[in-house]
Amino acid sequence: MKKLFIAVLLISISTTSFTQEKLKTTSGHIKFFSTTPAEDIEANNYKVTSNLTSSTGVVVFSVPMQSFEFKKALMQKHYNSKKFLNTKKFPKAKFKGNITNLSAINFFKDGSYTADVSGDLTIHGITKKVSEKMMFVVKNGTVTGTTTFNITLADYGIEFTKGKPSKNIAKDVKITAALNYSK
Amino acid sequence: MKSKIIKIVLAFVLIAIGVVAYLWFMPHRNVQSVDAYKTIDATELVNEFLANKEKANILYLDSEEGESKVLIVTGTVSKISKDQLGQYVLLLKKDADKMGVSCTFTLESNSQVAGIKIGDTVKVKGVIRSGAEYDEDLDLIENVIIEKSALIIN
Repeated sequence: MKKLFIAVLLISISTTSFTQEKLKTTSGHIKFFSTTPAEDIEANNYKVTSNLTSSTGVVVFSVPMQSFEFKKALMQKHYNSKKFLNTKKFPKAKFKGNITNLSAINFFKDGSYTADVSGDLTIHGITKKVSEKMMFVVKNGTVTGTTTFNITLADYGIEFTKGKPSKNIAKDVKITAALNYSK
Repeated sequence: MKSKIIKIVLAFVLIAIGVVAYLWFMPHRNVQSVDAYKTIDATELVNEFLANKEKANILYLDSEEGESKVLIVTGTVSKISKDQLGQYVLLLKKDADKMGVSCTFTLESNSQVAGIKIGDTVKVKGVIRSGAEYDEDLDLIENVIIEKSALIIN
């Protein structure tokens, strides 16, 4: 009886690990866009690492903050400095969350799916709960995830009250991400 | 007297325009023209971050303007890929290692990767953006990220 129990246990463990398919990328793209009457500012980052476990719906992102590239060198310098993102102290932004409507998504069948993703977003050392939509397109075994949402900079301790930044940088910036997952 | 004042004011205005234009058009740092801080083996660099993340961040990352250390990294090519911008990425990693150093080339230096094969030993110069990390719970592998790379051939 005990042997049978162990055998069943082993089989269930092996099936679990089999269905725990992990989708990964180390070259995700994230863009942020800020618009004010004074100026439009855009920065791109092509070095996002992300894992997605299709069986559990766990989604993780890691964004190397110094990989954001701005058109203007001076703006990039300001962005990295202590007054703004302080990228030496906080070199990575992270997100850890879950797909809450996992039953509506089939990562093994071609199609487009809208996922509800909720979790903790950490930027500039400050963690906030976020819930956003993410689109998944499954095609020939590859999975592409895209999302667009706004963040309020002040929520993450990035505030400008005077001078040029307060006029040129929007209070809310638009984040767009495109993640090219593979197995 | 009056013309002297006009000349001085004009000079100040020109200087001001010059400063603004310089700040506006300031070029990005040319990583390849900066002297490398040091030459280091890929495994050694990864291990420095795994041993003490804070210490390695302080040593390699720049806080004032994001102009972190320029490094020459030596290692074995374990993966060749392209990112969404079309830039080549060489992962320098030994088979036995879990994490490596991911070196992203530029559209200008991309052509250098043409003759590179998996298993080749290479020397890559670039700027470090972030360190290696491993989250066991999430099985999230984060390589050291190097960008603006070019091969050092000798």
